[in-house]
Amino acid sequence: MPDETTECKPEQPTGPFIAMFEGFRKELDEHHDRRERIIKASRDITASSKKIVRNVGQPVPPFVNKSNAQYWETIQKQYSGIASDLQSLNAHRYAHNITGGNQEFIEALSFHHYLETQSLISYDEAKARIAMMSKDEAKDGDLQQEGSVVPLSPEDYILGICDMTGELMRFSVTSMATNGRLPAGRAKATPTSKSPAATEDADRMDIDSQALTSGDSQKPRTVLDDLRSIRLQLEMFEAPYGPKWVSELETKKMPVMRECVDKVEKALYGLTVRGSERPKGWMPDMSSDRRAEVESY
Amino acid sequence: MASQSGMVDPAIFQDLQARVDEDTAVRDELKDIIQALEKHNRNVSFVLSRAHSTPVANLREVLKAAEESINTVIDDVSKLSQAASKLPYYKFNNMWSRQMQSAVEGLLLWGWLGGYKYDGGDIKAGRLLTIEELGEILKIPVNLKERDEFHLTLEEYLQSLISLVEELTRLARNAVTLGDYERPILINQFVKDLFAGFQILNLKNDSLRRRSDGLKYRVKDVEDVVYDLSLRNLLPKKG
Repeated sequence: MPDETTECKPEQPTGPFIAMFEGFRKELDEHHDRRERIIKASRDITASSKKIVRNVGQPVPPFVNKSNAQYWETIQKQYSGIASDLQSLNAHRYAHNITGGNQEFIEALSFHHYLETQSLISYDEAKARIAMMSKDEAKDGDLQQEGSVVPLSPEDYILGICDMTGELMRFSVTSMATNGRLPAGRAKATPTSKSPAATEDADRMDIDSQALTSGDSQKPRTVLDDLRSIRLQLEMFEAPYGPKWVSELETKKMPVMRECVDKVEKALYGLTVRGSERPKGWMPDMSSDRRAEVESY
Repeated sequence: MASQSGMVDPAIFQDLQARVDEDTAVRDELKDIIQALEKHNRNVSFVLSRAHSTPVANLREVLKAAEESINTVIDDVSKLSQAASKLPYYKFNNMWSRQMQSAVEGLLLWGWLGGYKYDGGDIKAGRLLTIEELGEILKIPVNLKERDEFHLTLEEYLQSLISLVEELTRLARNAVTLGDYERPILINQFVKDLFAGFQILNLKNDSLRRRSDGLKYRVKDVEDVVYDLSLRNLLPKKG
């Protein structure tokens, strides 16, 4: 193939455009380096987030904070390391390189938040959390300019929350298998109240707390109730037509999310029907494809 | 929707919905401008395609006609730039990146054919419009690094250069058909010089890489044309 245009040494390309392309090369190299830094951070954040989720999901709440400290630290280090790469023009340029890490972190953060407060962390809270983590690497905030934080897009948040339903599902099923009940908050006078007080007295999701009391309007909220309300919100959410993340949401995340709610409903059905016969170590039967209307027993 | 629990504050999703709807509104607003740009790009390429069947002696008319359509493209780009400059550039740029590339492709070919700064004398072909010159013509900033505004990106420029090479490869053959044996030589050198430039770039595995991989075949195509001419002793005598 006569494509050796640089007949001489490839080391010394000559030509009228070489100088111009040398400039381009420098810029492209910078771009690729930055992108790779972000991708690497995203991966590390993903890995640590997964570990947090795994630890947090274990029914040993008192220790979780300690054993997870190192992972939070890693994530913080990664966020603060790439904050300056994601500013201004570059915030959206590399958005799809960080979205994986952001989503995974939201999954961990929202799950953790849920176990502690029994409520869904808001977009603004999550954003503020990431902002905080991307800032205080070292205490001297003067080193970094103002507002140098890793941005969290609404897209990342929504996709992360979708993933979190999987954790709630696993949490519920594990609890049903080991304790024979669905994790629930403590009984409250007004479980439907929207006031923040509603979550205050149920600050800890405790497996040992009171189980469902049937036919009672005062029954405590269960994980299943919460799963359903997340599902409802996600189903009601009108995703715009076009952007890439929407197809991800609709073809992958939403079906999985629905599946998760279904699984818990089926497991609870199994528990309700055969609960009293439950031998030790029994796992809820989730292969059943019958739809169970659990609330109307 | 009788939400049974206080677990999800409905305001969270209302707020997200509002944000996402805002983006949709922005997209809808830009859509018309981008469609107009696409349409006018087609006009430019329609006019410029006559260069493939027009002898250099009559090219003046083609270039003049092209300039008219180019002016509408410039207007469209100004409108787009105005509408988009207040937006985060990379959040929306995939909406117009393709259209901006074809606008630039038209300009590059027009510039190469001699349309840029043409003063009425002999048409001088072979000019490569730099990204800065394109920015001047289109009245937009180019290759921004910090400022988050509408601009022409380096990647778009490089993509368009590849398209220019493809177009010139075609032109090399068609020039021969028109009995013009000088143009292929000019193209041969130009394409080689550009290819040499691309070779020093460290491209990652992206679309730019894939398309630039094809450049060597275009270079070969043009070389084959020159070879055919030289074999038949048709190359103009340098002198």
